[in-house]
Amino acid sequence: MHTICSPHEEHSSGRNSYDKHPLADRHTIRSLLLAGIAAVLLAACGGETSQENTEEDTGPFVALTTEAEASRFLAQAGMGASDEGIRQVQRANYTGWLDQQFAITPRYSHRTYIDALIASGQNPNQSHVMHTFWKQVAVAPDQLRQKVAFALSQIFVISQLDSAVGGYERGVASYLDMLGREAFGNYRSLLEAVSRHPMMGLYLSHLRNQKASGNRVPDQNFAREVMQLMSIGLYELNPDGTLVMAGKAPVETYSNEDIVGLSHVFTGFSWAGPDRQNGRFYGSSSNPPPDPNREVLPMQGYPQFHSTEEKRFLGTVIPAQGTPDPDGSLRIALDTIFNHPNVGPFIGRQLIQRMVTSNPSPGYVGRVTQAFNSGSYSHGNWRTGNGQRGDMRAVIAAVLLDSEARDIAMASAPGFGKVREPVLRLAAWMRAFDATSKSTNYLLGNTDSPSNALGQSPMRSPSVFNFYRPGYVPPNTGIAAANLVAPEFQIIHETSVVGYSNFMRDAVRYGVGSNSPRDIQADYSKELALADEPDALIDRIDLLLTYGTMSTATRDLIRDAVESISINPLNPSAGRQNRVYVATFFTVSSPDFIVQK
Amino acid sequence: MVSKASRREFLKRASALSFAAAGAPFALNLATIGAASAQVVSGYRAVVCVFLYGGNDHTNTIIPYDSTDYAEYLNARPEIAIPRNDLTATSIGPVASQGGRSFAFHPTLSAFKALYDAGNLAVVPNVGPLVVPTTKSQYENRSVPLPPKLFSHNDQQSVWQANTPIGEGARLGWGGRMGDLLASQNGLPIFTAVSAAGNAVFLSGQQVLQYQMSTSGALSIAGISGNLYGSSSASSLYRQLITGNSTHLFEDELGQVTSRSIAANSLLASSLPPASQFVVPVPSGNGLASQLNIVARMIFARSSLSTNRQVFFVSLGGFDNHDFLLDRHGAQLQQLNDAVNAFYGWLGEMQLQNNVTLFTASDFGRTLTSNGDGSDHGWGSHHFVIGGAVQGGEMYGTFPQVAFGTNEDIRQGNLLPTTSVDQYAATFARWLGVPDSSVPDILPNIVNFDAWPSRYLDFLV
Repeated sequence: MHTICSPHEEHSSGRNSYDKHPLADRHTIRSLLLAGIAAVLLAACGGETSQENTEEDTGPFVALTTEAEASRFLAQAGMGASDEGIRQVQRANYTGWLDQQFAITPRYSHRTYIDALIASGQNPNQSHVMHTFWKQVAVAPDQLRQKVAFALSQIFVISQLDSAVGGYERGVASYLDMLGREAFGNYRSLLEAVSRHPMMGLYLSHLRNQKASGNRVPDQNFAREVMQLMSIGLYELNPDGTLVMAGKAPVETYSNEDIVGLSHVFTGFSWAGPDRQNGRFYGSSSNPPPDPNREVLPMQGYPQFHSTEEKRFLGTVIPAQGTPDPDGSLRIALDTIFNHPNVGPFIGRQLIQRMVTSNPSPGYVGRVTQAFNSGSYSHGNWRTGNGQRGDMRAVIAAVLLDSEARDIAMASAPGFGKVREPVLRLAAWMRAFDATSKSTNYLLGNTDSPSNALGQSPMRSPSVFNFYRPGYVPPNTGIAAANLVAPEFQIIHETSVVGYSNFMRDAVRYGVGSNSPRDIQADYSKELALADEPDALIDRIDLLLTYGTMSTATRDLIRDAVESISINPLNPSAGRQNRVYVATFFTVSSPDFIVQK
Repeated sequence: MVSKASRREFLKRASALSFAAAGAPFALNLATIGAASAQVVSGYRAVVCVFLYGGNDHTNTIIPYDSTDYAEYLNARPEIAIPRNDLTATSIGPVASQGGRSFAFHPTLSAFKALYDAGNLAVVPNVGPLVVPTTKSQYENRSVPLPPKLFSHNDQQSVWQANTPIGEGARLGWGGRMGDLLASQNGLPIFTAVSAAGNAVFLSGQQVLQYQMSTSGALSIAGISGNLYGSSSASSLYRQLITGNSTHLFEDELGQVTSRSIAANSLLASSLPPASQFVVPVPSGNGLASQLNIVARMIFARSSLSTNRQVFFVSLGGFDNHDFLLDRHGAQLQQLNDAVNAFYGWLGEMQLQNNVTLFTASDFGRTLTSNGDGSDHGWGSHHFVIGGAVQGGEMYGTFPQVAFGTNEDIRQGNLLPTTSVDQYAATFARWLGVPDSSVPDILPNIVNFDAWPSRYLDFLV
């Protein structure tokens, strides 16, 4: 049943946010925006699926962007464009939409989904984590949060492929919830939530990590990777993301000594619980009994296992502790990392790569760094961020509203944009065609196989280095010759192109997921209505999937394919269906779609 | 042909498509060129790199077995040491080159022990990336150039695989460079450098492009043939769509990869034998075995694919055992043992054991110290070379004392390598038939190792 939203929530996002637009005066825009926000909030606390989000156009519709602009924005900012999403962006403009999105309280919890399964007597497995991921992709109104959380899951990587993590579905679900929750907060808080999450503790093995004794030394795993992958990276960066050079050589941000020093900080953390007994630290199954929520609660400090010796890293010294203080050491360490000048460009550049383009200009990275450092971002009269370093709303707005992201002329530059990773390609298909789930649970599990599936599953990276590296260059290619990087090409090869094509050929027609008929089905009713008019059909799919930028060559091939299917006047439905299938399959296979520009 | 397209549009498209058709089947063009110029020499040879991703704990892979040496090992890492009694069945030696010391392979490596005893497996102890021969004091004083970003996974994977020690972002691998120099011996250059384990810099050459092989064998894009959603003509249009050229570099590369995939598939579909080709079964639940099986099947098809020199890449992941080392490492080495054992059986069925050499590689070795339940990132490591051509039952290089404070211990028992990856690599290059004079083209730093004690190791001649 529907929950009733408390009235004050409708006003919680009442920030008057709009861009000047020649088509309407400010007063009109403001009232339209407020109506739109209310509608979104209504949707946000409304029904069980997006199909019940009965946002109706009320009053005259004033478009503040074109449909194509809105669709392109949603490809970058969300999990893919839909009619509803396009209308929201057109009503609110980019900035208003961001405000709406920032204001949506997450209403679907991955962990709640897993808990409900357990409560109903089911034994959760890894697939259930993927089900709840896809469910949110398809139905959650907070699309920006979904997108940023997925991006963060590729920077702050944990993986169900890992045997230590793989059996903790509640834990992994709560980790994904945490990324979504922190996505609109502050990077410092995100960093701590990641560092203390028991799934990260298991994945990078600082859970149960102990102070030195005899020949035994602390585990260096998390100390190394938190710096290399999650905060500052290997080399000192200018604010624009370019390397600081000492002569011809880049300057390393840390040495092995820093890793050793930092490894002492990450000692004495383990499972949460009502006490700090040794047995709890070690993860005993009986003495004391484990806290039933330990896999979703932040790790706690156990002073008796925390290193008391002096800890030196990144120019910071934590003096020797008379009384071991794991929480105090952690605070100093994370503050030190957080305040390193690399964090803005290092994290900012990766968020740009995940959402907009693989090769942002230094100016673009610099502007995102500025937003990270100042905690604020302005766009005309609009402003976001609370002014604290690391404000994620400011960073996200800087990534998405930058002129380089918004300028449609960039779409035709030969190196702009990014390859949509396979998960995002399928997500775009689900969004565009309002995919529904018969079970309501979006029963799509593992899509790891490059031979017959996507070659990628959410939360199943092969290692902490993600599915691909931010600096990956496909060798012996025009991309390499142009000195560009193309991260997602690391998982594109002779096998995975076959797997993707064949997977989508089936998906377009039969849907995806378990059961027969398959649980997740596209709703092509709007496309079927256009099937007799090939150009109109292609226009619509072009708008939803390639935001009106489909090339003439692609369009012509699709038109030929559509027109090769005749429509029998006595039984038009089969021909119409096939026309929609062929147009959709061609589009999701086209380079125009796979490369998001 | 086209009902509504204007003449102008039609001409424009026709022009675009003919451009695409000329550029798309890149691999086939290459194949044609290769077929024209190849001088196929007799005697098939191939090397197979088994990359152990994550950094193999070499200390528990090959363990000192003499009682005093074992005691040192036990003392160094008591929490994660393997009991000596468990090592009896896989013990080897005394090893003449190591002063008569005895060792033992990890208890799961029973097939490796048998291959060693039969003279078909050699051990290369303490091998790792170096720029020049390096002593401990040179390392500590940073007085010689060192490989970049030691101890970092992604960088050291790259350093091991690249032709010179370059961290992440390296563009040339020594496998690919060997392929560059050997591809002319193949009628079909497309299958010179083949990965069954995803894109790897190891197989990147200057001309040679790595071919990514599915463990399922030949794979067809269903949409390019036959009836597509009720249309008999859509499939050829679809093929044009996914193999087209573009002025956008990413789009264009997508088309090239897809063209190569289609071309290779049509060659493989008619040549590749089924998995049931071999009597020795494929070990189940063993991803590495599946990869090696497709390698064996491709080797089986060498004549019809017109290949004479090949470099293969397969991998097994999960070796980054900071935790749970004893449990997990054993399970991984068991997979390695079973997969390699089956592969050696398949080679035997083809009577090609002398023609194919398999070797291991990994990000790095690991610390001798324990962090309670595992070990940390290191540098030098022990590796295996397997094949009928291998001068096996021996170790090549110096097996270090497993203790702290030695000349090789740079910290926490991490090993300063006493054999360079370049020497290891050069030995395979020479065996494959790369002329001495060309080896430095593959491995520019090899010239630094002439006196250490020589450019090549003696496990292959």
